[in-house]
Amino acid sequence: MFREHAASMQSRPSSEAEQLIVRLLKRTMPFQVISEGMLQSVAAVSRPFSYRAGEVIYRAGDKADDVYVVVSGAVDHLLSDTPTTVERNRVMHSGDVFGWAAVLGQDKRVRLATATCVETAEVIRINGAALIERLNDDPATAKVVMSRFATMITREFGAPAAAAQIVAPNRTVSDAPAAVPRPRGHATGLALTLYRISRWLRSPKPFLMLLGFALFLGFWYLSVQVWKLPRFREMPGLTTVFHEWFSKNPTYGLSFYTPEYYQDIWVSVRRVGIAFFLATALGVPLGLFLGWSRTFREYVFPVFEMLRPIPVLAWVPLAILMFSGSETPVIFLTFLASFFATALNTMLGVESIDESYTRAADCLGASKMQVFRHVIVPGAMPYIFTGLQISVGVAWFSLVAAEMVSGQFGLGYVINTSYTMVRYPTIGIGMITLGAVGYVTSALVRIVGDSMMQWRVRELALGGR
Amino acid sequence: MSTVVKAAGTPTSAKAQAGEIVVSSVGKSYGEGQFVKEVVKDCSFTIERGKLTVMIGPSGCGKSTLIRLLAGFEKPTSGSIKINGKPVTGPGKDRLVLFQESALFPWMTTYDNIMYGPRARGEDTKEARSLAEMLLDKVGLRAFRKKYPTQLSGGMQRRAELARAMINNPEVMILDEPFRGLDAMSKELMWEYYSRLYEESGRTNFFITTDIDEAIFLADRLLIMTNVPTQVRAVVEIDIPRPRDLVSLVDDDRANEVKMEALSLLHEEAMKSFAGGSKAAADFIEAYSKRLRTKKE
Repeated sequence: MFREHAASMQSRPSSEAEQLIVRLLKRTMPFQVISEGMLQSVAAVSRPFSYRAGEVIYRAGDKADDVYVVVSGAVDHLLSDTPTTVERNRVMHSGDVFGWAAVLGQDKRVRLATATCVETAEVIRINGAALIERLNDDPATAKVVMSRFATMITREFGAPAAAAQIVAPNRTVSDAPAAVPRPRGHATGLALTLYRISRWLRSPKPFLMLLGFALFLGFWYLSVQVWKLPRFREMPGLTTVFHEWFSKNPTYGLSFYTPEYYQDIWVSVRRVGIAFFLATALGVPLGLFLGWSRTFREYVFPVFEMLRPIPVLAWVPLAILMFSGSETPVIFLTFLASFFATALNTMLGVESIDESYTRAADCLGASKMQVFRHVIVPGAMPYIFTGLQISVGVAWFSLVAAEMVSGQFGLGYVINTSYTMVRYPTIGIGMITLGAVGYVTSALVRIVGDSMMQWRVRELALGGR
Repeated sequence: MSTVVKAAGTPTSAKAQAGEIVVSSVGKSYGEGQFVKEVVKDCSFTIERGKLTVMIGPSGCGKSTLIRLLAGFEKPTSGSIKINGKPVTGPGKDRLVLFQESALFPWMTTYDNIMYGPRARGEDTKEARSLAEMLLDKVGLRAFRKKYPTQLSGGMQRRAELARAMINNPEVMILDEPFRGLDAMSKELMWEYYSRLYEESGRTNFFITTDIDEAIFLADRLLIMTNVPTQVRAVVEIDIPRPRDLVSLVDDDRANEVKMEALSLLHEEAMKSFAGGSKAAADFIEAYSKRLRTKKE
């Protein structure tokens, strides 16, 4: 590893240099808390080195002998790709420690990363074997140092198992972290979700999302209030809408501070909730039977296909004739489109199930009912949840249509009456609220689906999605 | 006859010894009138109890149709199939079929997949669970018991499927090209794996393949099939002692003899199916074999 042409090496650090090293080590994560005496003994097995920019300090696969502490400059640390790697690439600065492979298991001391000098760097190299030897004299300190190394490794590999292995009494792990079991398999649903969220937060995606929103709002503001584009002139402006929305005493009577606002949200959510529940409770079983029984399908499917394309608005008169009051017709109309979407997707889900699964279940002695419960239902699950996502979307869609035509309260009603009563900013409030609430319900359906289909989540995760 | 060494150690071997399938003049055709396609014609053979019978034939010769008939998913147009003297009427727990494509349920973990048979029959007992543990060890998947099938490699999936079949202790196991699509290395490992499992259980096995090396490594008896409509062209008894190993089989004279014999028969059948499609192909084969003959002289 040591490249003679570039690295200047002092064979034995002077006592002054040793003091420098001790001071520096105190600033590093693994050695922060250990005693002066121990630090001095570690300093004795350390040697200062320097590297030129662009020089490779070590490559993945090299034999690992030393642990490195950066004194000055910058070193690029690129982990070789393993399935559990969280943070592949890091730049190390003064006080950072890398090259921990040198303190791992005796026969597995191989570099898992490639370290390249970015700008002229001074480092301290501590011989791994000697370090372990020194640490063994003081098991208590060893435990602290090793567990801190473990934390470092975990941070880079995202593998809790690696940490569990390395804290073993006064030294070393039995295996290199590359061979550590992948956390995906052991993680519970919740841990997996949290892991994905934390990964999402560290990716550029949230930033891009915010940028997208900013662009959209910016366009709204500019086109309506600054440029006053021809078709936008009559629209409520961004600042007008938000001012109204956050006002304690709103001009048109609807804002965050008025109880009516929450009542309207609640009424709409309740209607969608009931309609969606009914659509699921009736649509999923219907879809399952449509897919499962050929005879049943011959009877029902043609009628189903004829009713399905009829738009919600065309049902309005019939709904008012059929149901009394203002609430039931709205729920019925909201229910209709959801029901069709759910049933159709469930049926497609059953059809998508590979024949080999039912055949296998037959062979293993499952009864017809068991095939239905153990193969048809779980096999159709991915399609069912796709259907439910669509279903929630169309439920909101038809709810607003229904509320505009008949009904009292609710976000659709607010939007419609605000138009007729010339309360334009309230239209904006209603629309944005509708979008946000719709988004939340759709996300809830997805979360429930993911937690019910761990196998599917893993399958997709393997595909890199 | 073969000189098979069978371990009598497993407690289930007595029961597993049962299971003889007699196929007598079975015919199967699809379609009607002028569109009729005859896939199996007057086909007769016996799958002897306790033996590993391997069926080999050119691809597309109707082997898979025969499997579906044996499994009971379809009924023969003519002739009969009897297991232990009783006619086959539908799928049954006495015969377990492993199909070409992996059919592990993707929504169940390895362990749940293996336990599926016992649970479906309402036998989620202590014995069944300990048998599942034993099988997990035997197929080397203990560490993967909580993984879903998509998280396993192709070879692991096949092993899990073998375990899922064996836990039901069927009298006959029927395997339709189970190792197709695996890479060469996992394939050879699977052969050794599978033949060890067979030797331990001593149960009747019927194995279908298109790979001659696989056939010779595994078989007690080799059935060589004709081109479509399929019939048994020849039966070769493979009397190479067990346990066999791949390396020594390469130098084994008897193995090579059987291989040459089987290959020449297979080649003939394959050529027929190849030529069946076109006049040009038939002419080409004619010319090719003529050239071979003159070379020999």
